[in-house]
Amino acid sequence: MGKFEITINKKGNDWAIKMGGTIDEDVDFGQYMLTGAQKIDLHLADIKSINSCGIREWIKWIGATAAAVTYHECPKIIVDQINMVQGFLPGRATVNSFFVPFYCEESSSEKSYLFRLGHEFNSNGDLKIPIVKDDQGHVMEMDVVEAKYFKFLKK
Amino acid sequence: MSRPQSLSLRIKFLLILTLLPLIVLGAYLAIAIDVFQSDKLAYVFEETSSISKTLALQTTTNWTSVLASVRPVLQDWAEKGSFGSLSQLLLTAESPVRWIAACELAEDGQLIKKGFVARSGLVPVAASPPTLASESEAESIVKSPFVTEKAVANRRTAIVPFGDERVVLLEKLDMPAPAKPLVFLILMDGKDLADSFRAPGSASNYLIDEKGLIMMGPPEFERTYLTAQIPVSFLSATPVAAPPPTPGGQRRQSGTEEVNNEHNEALLISYAPVQYGNLFVVSTVPKKAALEAVQILLRKSLIFFALLICATLVISLIASKNLTSALTQLFQATQKVAQGKFDIRVNVDSSDEVGSLAQSFNKMAAEVSRLMMETAEKARMESELRTAQTVQETLFPPVSARIGDLSVFGYYEPASEIGGDWWHYNWVDGKVFLWIGDATGHGAPAALITSAAKSASTVIENLKVDPATALDLLNRSIFDVSQGKIMMTFFLGCYDPVTHRLIYSNASHESPYLIRRSDQPPRKKDLIPLNDVNNPRLGQNRQSRYKQTTINLQPGDRILFYTDGIPDIKNPANEPWGERNFIKAVLEANKDFPPIDEAVTRLTGSFEKHRQKAMLHDDITFFMIEVHGGAQG
Repeated sequence: MGKFEITINKKGNDWAIKMGGTIDEDVDFGQYMLTGAQKIDLHLADIKSINSCGIREWIKWIGATAAAVTYHECPKIIVDQINMVQGFLPGRATVNSFFVPFYCEESSSEKSYLFRLGHEFNSNGDLKIPIVKDDQGHVMEMDVVEAKYFKFLKK
Repeated sequence: MSRPQSLSLRIKFLLILTLLPLIVLGAYLAIAIDVFQSDKLAYVFEETSSISKTLALQTTTNWTSVLASVRPVLQDWAEKGSFGSLSQLLLTAESPVRWIAACELAEDGQLIKKGFVARSGLVPVAASPPTLASESEAESIVKSPFVTEKAVANRRTAIVPFGDERVVLLEKLDMPAPAKPLVFLILMDGKDLADSFRAPGSASNYLIDEKGLIMMGPPEFERTYLTAQIPVSFLSATPVAAPPPTPGGQRRQSGTEEVNNEHNEALLISYAPVQYGNLFVVSTVPKKAALEAVQILLRKSLIFFALLICATLVISLIASKNLTSALTQLFQATQKVAQGKFDIRVNVDSSDEVGSLAQSFNKMAAEVSRLMMETAEKARMESELRTAQTVQETLFPPVSARIGDLSVFGYYEPASEIGGDWWHYNWVDGKVFLWIGDATGHGAPAALITSAAKSASTVIENLKVDPATALDLLNRSIFDVSQGKIMMTFFLGCYDPVTHRLIYSNASHESPYLIRRSDQPPRKKDLIPLNDVNNPRLGQNRQSRYKQTTINLQPGDRILFYTDGIPDIKNPANEPWGERNFIKAVLEANKDFPPIDEAVTRLTGSFEKHRQKAMLHDDITFFMIEVHGGAQG
């Protein structure tokens, strides 16, 4: 579990926030107030874990802003929370891209494939599942329960 | 614990502080006295040697001056063969010479008296003891073989023939051949010289001849033999008849000796030769008297040392008492600690190592006392937790049940004594309510929320409301209890055995998986998450409103309800089981659609195989239902 890290890059009212590490009860989102932002791009690729207390703090933090929030490069743990916890992805927020884990039973290899808005999925929630192969050319299958993992796209 | 059986620290302290100076000062005293004694002996030898040499020189000078005063008379006799008027002129009443006898030394070594002259005013008498000079005295001396022997052996010598201070000097004068050598006997008064030997002092002085006969000395020893009192070694080396190398020359060296007298008393002896015959002046000093100062020094030193030791002893007693009393306090305190009395404190005011030790002891005792209290507090809390665990177990239903046309089988294991997961089922108004929830975190705080949820559910179920309304009420109840600090994910389903419809509402809980019965083993895509509706977690916002949805079930359908603790199960290497293995285990457990108790046992076996009895990080809760159809509870 890595230490929580955050980088906020402000260009006027457009903020780019990059996060990494662990989000738990020790993370004080109160010091990263989003006041003044109108557009926020959250880059979440480096988030390693989040626990129930971290989810509570996240919802308080992200739910307080009126800005248009876009989630980028969401790892599986974030997608799981989006699907399960109402409020983790606020109603006005969208997901621009997210990772989908792939797995090959034969070679035991794993990959995370980035699904991007306009490419592998659209705003209607339609999917265009790519064919993902491992280094040995084996076709990999999605390592998720699709009905559960892509549920948020239908909202 | 008992006191040490060997010497106590105080005794050791005293022994060190007293024996050490005693040994050091004793060694110093021995060395100092030895050096002082050697120096003193050297000084006394030097002093007595000086006295003996001075007396020998005084004797020689005295006698030589007498001979010099009468030498004209002797010359007159050698030239004329008689004592003329010159002798009468020189031998006056003031002269120390009483008479002079002139003798020829015959070839056979005998002395033949040829002339005699006495000092003016002296009347010849034959009284005994003779007190005045008389020709008869000279006659007896001349005929003495002892005198003859001395006259032959020495050119010049002296004898004390009468046992008083009078001395006869023998002066041998060789005459041109064919005349025979002349020997003059000169009787003189030696009172002044004798007084010099008789004078009392630290040293006893003797004028002795070659046989050790005391010619002058302390009155009680005159005419006795010094050799009878003292073994004088230098006399044995003195050749009696050997002539001196030169007239008046040094014949014997002066010297010193240490001997024991007949009373075994050590004496320091110095001797010096007199230039008349084989005469010696001997000075003796008792060694004991000579070293009297050393004895005084020794006595005073011993007294000083005794006082010093006494002072050291007193100081040591005071110092050791201070030291050992502090250590005794510490010893007694440790004994009390050993008896379990940790509130003991040592009162030592010193700022030395012992004081630091006492402070450390007090800190240690305080820390032990604090730890004991914490241990007692922990034991109390553990006891309370066990009680809470017992109470919480009553919140859960029996793990296996047949209710309506549903069979239920569950599993629950908290990560600590009490957990934050809760599951339940009950029969209300012809419907089966299925409850599962997970409070944020685990342990006592989460357990309190589950207790609140259980209490609220008991009230809510009597209200006969649908799942959404039930979660509305439950949300307010939990929010009021936790004030938004602790939340709870929750899934509530209501199954109608008549319609086989399941109405459910989800408060951000893990979506249960519906597995429809088929002829084929279920695959991953056959898992149907019940996620058509989702709502905020309970306790997040008091104003939240909850929605519900409905799904139709069929006989043979089974649903797995679970909390997120199952995929998070970790093995001893801290590796999580993971969602992939969880899904695979679920499919494997239901591959032949066994009775749900068997499916639950298989699922449990799968994660226990990964877990390998490692400690749990989160509570594990899951249960499975199966719709049988037709039967009514």
